[in-house]
Amino acid sequence: MAFKIASSPHVSTTLHTNTVMKRVALCLIPGIAVQSYYFGYGTLVQLLLAITVAYLAEAAVMKLRNRNITATLKDNSALVTASLLAVAIPPLAPWWLIVIGTLFAIVIVKQLYGGLGNNVFNPAMAAYVLLLISFPVQMTSWVAPQTLTVNYADMLHTFNSIFQLNAGYAADFFHLAIDGTTMATPLDTLKTDLSMGLTTTESMTKTIFSGSVGEGWFWVNMAYLVGGLVMLKLKVIRWHISGAIVLTLFVCASIGFLISPDTFVSPIMHLFSGGTMLAAFFIATDPVTAATSPRGRLIFGAMIGLLIYLIRTFGGYPDAVAFAVLLANMCAPFIDYYVRPRSYGHRVGN
Amino acid sequence: MLTLLEQLDKGTLWRSPGGIHPPELKSLSNQSTIASLPLQSRFVIPVPLVGQQATLSVKVGDSVLKGQPLTEGAGFIYLPVHAPTSGTVVAIEQHGSNHASSLPVLSCIIEADGLDTWCELTSSKIEQLSKADILAKIKQAGIAGMGGAAFPSHVKLNPASEIDLVIINGVECEPYISADDRLMREFSDEILTGISIIHHLLNPQRIIIAIEDNKPEAARAIESAIRRSSLPNDMIRVTVIPTKYPSGGEKQLIQIITGKEVPSGAIPAQLGIVVHNVGTAYAIQEAVLQGKPLIERVVTLTGESIGKPGNYWLRIGTTVEDALSQVSFQPESSQKVIVGGPMMGFALADLNVPILKGTNCLLTPSQAEIAPDPDEKACIRCGECAVACPALLLPQQLFWHAKAEEYDKAASFNLKDCIECGCCSYVCPSDIPLVEYYRVAKSALKNAAEEKLQAEQAKIRFETRLQRLEDEKNAREEKSKQAAAKRQANMKSGDKDAVAAAMARIAAKKAQAAEGITADPAATTPDTTTTKAAIDATSAKKTAVNAAIERAKAKKAALATQSQKDNQSDVATVTTDMPVDTIDRANDKKAQIAAAIARAKAKKAALASDSSATNDVDGVQTRDTVNEVNPAIEMDTTIAAIPVDDKKARIAAAVAKAKAKKLANSAKQEEL
Repeated sequence: MAFKIASSPHVSTTLHTNTVMKRVALCLIPGIAVQSYYFGYGTLVQLLLAITVAYLAEAAVMKLRNRNITATLKDNSALVTASLLAVAIPPLAPWWLIVIGTLFAIVIVKQLYGGLGNNVFNPAMAAYVLLLISFPVQMTSWVAPQTLTVNYADMLHTFNSIFQLNAGYAADFFHLAIDGTTMATPLDTLKTDLSMGLTTTESMTKTIFSGSVGEGWFWVNMAYLVGGLVMLKLKVIRWHISGAIVLTLFVCASIGFLISPDTFVSPIMHLFSGGTMLAAFFIATDPVTAATSPRGRLIFGAMIGLLIYLIRTFGGYPDAVAFAVLLANMCAPFIDYYVRPRSYGHRVGN
Repeated sequence: MLTLLEQLDKGTLWRSPGGIHPPELKSLSNQSTIASLPLQSRFVIPVPLVGQQATLSVKVGDSVLKGQPLTEGAGFIYLPVHAPTSGTVVAIEQHGSNHASSLPVLSCIIEADGLDTWCELTSSKIEQLSKADILAKIKQAGIAGMGGAAFPSHVKLNPASEIDLVIINGVECEPYISADDRLMREFSDEILTGISIIHHLLNPQRIIIAIEDNKPEAARAIESAIRRSSLPNDMIRVTVIPTKYPSGGEKQLIQIITGKEVPSGAIPAQLGIVVHNVGTAYAIQEAVLQGKPLIERVVTLTGESIGKPGNYWLRIGTTVEDALSQVSFQPESSQKVIVGGPMMGFALADLNVPILKGTNCLLTPSQAEIAPDPDEKACIRCGECAVACPALLLPQQLFWHAKAEEYDKAASFNLKDCIECGCCSYVCPSDIPLVEYYRVAKSALKNAAEEKLQAEQAKIRFETRLQRLEDEKNAREEKSKQAAAKRQANMKSGDKDAVAAAMARIAAKKAQAAEGITADPAATTPDTTTTKAAIDATSAKKTAVNAAIERAKAKKAALATQSQKDNQSDVATVTTDMPVDTIDRANDKKAQIAAAIARAKAKKAALASDSSATNDVDGVQTRDTVNEVNPAIEMDTTIAAIPVDDKKARIAAAVAKAKAKKLANSAKQEEL
């Protein structure tokens, strides 16, 4: 009888790529839940749109490339990319924004580079930057926390806003939005105020900060942090990148804050506002576009942390996560080339 | 070293990087004592070294006894193989090998007679043997490392440098395998005797028996055996190490026990360390004390497709098929039969292959137990492989370059330090058979290195040949230069003489022929002779004509010699690189010729002043002569030969004389 030939080893772990990706997506749930609580159903609608478009786009590219469609869709990487983009864009952004972004992320950033494992840039962040540069108005009109606004964006409002069903209504809503439904993020507000000569203390008396880092934002970041810690526990990610980002950002922000508390943002604000925790645990840890060795990952993470701080503080954009991640992505192959562990039996420097 | 010894005595353990914790599944096979199987009827003993280092000492049809050597040979790493039972050699042929490649290898096929009669064994006591005797006995018993690598043990027991530490490897970190575990539990005293022989041979400062903490019974058995043994108890100890794959790898074990790393490309002996397997220690004891060659070993037969899993004494040469048929092997569809453990073992396609000295396990898992290999998916660079790698490599980078067939880049990531333990493949979430990629890359690099070596040798050969040709050419040129110089030197005397002799002969002939002519003043130089002859020619016309013919002949002859000489001197000139000289000489010649013609013309004019008509004709002739030297001679001769006009003849004679002078001049010039 014929016996099966295979190369050693003959056993392997049961943790597979699709499981890893699924766990990443599942660990996003606390963050999504808190985000929806503070900023309305918009995020959920965006998620649904993004995931649908991502799967369709991936299937279409697989079809064009004559590859196995189901095997690729099953790896859940499109799910993760779509989810990350969906939670990153304003919840009430028009539907075409997320569609363009997702198509760009899946088709151009990921598949045109050869698909999973071959992309140079983080697809979600590359798409985010594309949208931010192309559609700055839509991308910076964040929803006001529902706890602060009278114009509560209910299901109907949300759908009307995203799908622009009724032109007149949409215009009306947009009008409303200017008045109260949407507003700049706390980081954006602070940046504008600082540029207008206000001190951080003065700026932070505004209601949006709720006395700390911004209504809702603190808890959203906490929720992503919890999800990230679960991923660490499940060994879906390793601590190096996230740890380096958080630590570097904290150190940089503390130095600035100690030097001049009136003109520099506090470290707590840096860590728990904007997309810091989402970036540190879910975005920068994308292994495909990060450095691979532990030391390389520390450098990679530190670089992101530093860039986030520098761009937030001195750059033109209120938040900097996407730019920082993309810039670090560019450096990852370079880091991998120069930062190699010392192999067994080799002396340092060999 | 002192502190290291103290730490060894304390049982300090160092961290070995990477590693994994696969399900051990040893209880499947380690519950019962080592059993024996009924004697098989057919054995396959590979004799791969025959033709290289060894010759066969049996032929087809010979009857052999159990333990009789089948090969003879010399060489430091030669190891004999022995008949596993008594019987007949029925064939010596190419037979499928127990190797991942299953390429055929020359093998002795022995049919058992069922009597299992031992050949004569010489038992001895250690005290009676010298170290050389012990090493010879170990070599003659054909003992090879029984942990899997099957390296000749006598080589490792006879190191070039001092050995401080002997590590006895009872780690057995591969899942499923329990052969060493059972051997340690049941034959601890024998193993200790083997260790004492190793101690006697190497005289190390410490002996550490390393056992993983999942084998507490084995550790206890060995510890009590140590207390019973004659070895000093302060220099030998059992060190229990945490269970982790691949702690039993030689390099990893050394790192765990001593904290040292074996330098890349080196062997442990350079650190003063030698590692032996417990099974080898047992075999050494049997070989030295009882004279028994290595013809059987403990093999773990396990996996859910085997009805009676356990450890069995199997003769070397038993086919896998025969062994499995004795333990209720029930293959499933697409059954895997793995030689070795699940991490490093290879799957067999054909079961008609023999058990070897390094075969420690046959694993026949059910599909539920070990899933069929899943499809390879894209690498997501998660880096889990780098975390698991005990050699601290970057498997994902190695894979990236190996897959792209950039083998030199893979080599720059220290591919050669990969021990192929399989940890990276084990943890890979994308099910990439990483080790397989590395094996392909390694063999490609090996081939490339061999090709490079061959190309270098070919280049050296080619360059040597070019050099040789160049040397030969130079030697030839030097020789021809010398020859040319010699010729020139000869010419100064010899050629001149030859020309002079020829001239003298001509003059003599002329003198003979021309009676009544005023006696020549013995032809001191061709010039004077010819001039005088020309002057004399005025007295006797007929004689003059004859003389002219003679002269013309002489001229021709001289010219022929001259042209020959010219050719030679040309060659010489080319070799000595003096084209300027040649040109000068040619110019000189021309000038001389012109002068000679002028002289001839003047003479002619003086002689034939009365006849202007003839003079004209002569002028034309002379011009002809100048224009075309060689045909002119012919013409001269012809014209001179026809005695139409005396004057004409005289003129021709004058021209001929002029030419002769010119030739003589140029000959002189040549000599200069």
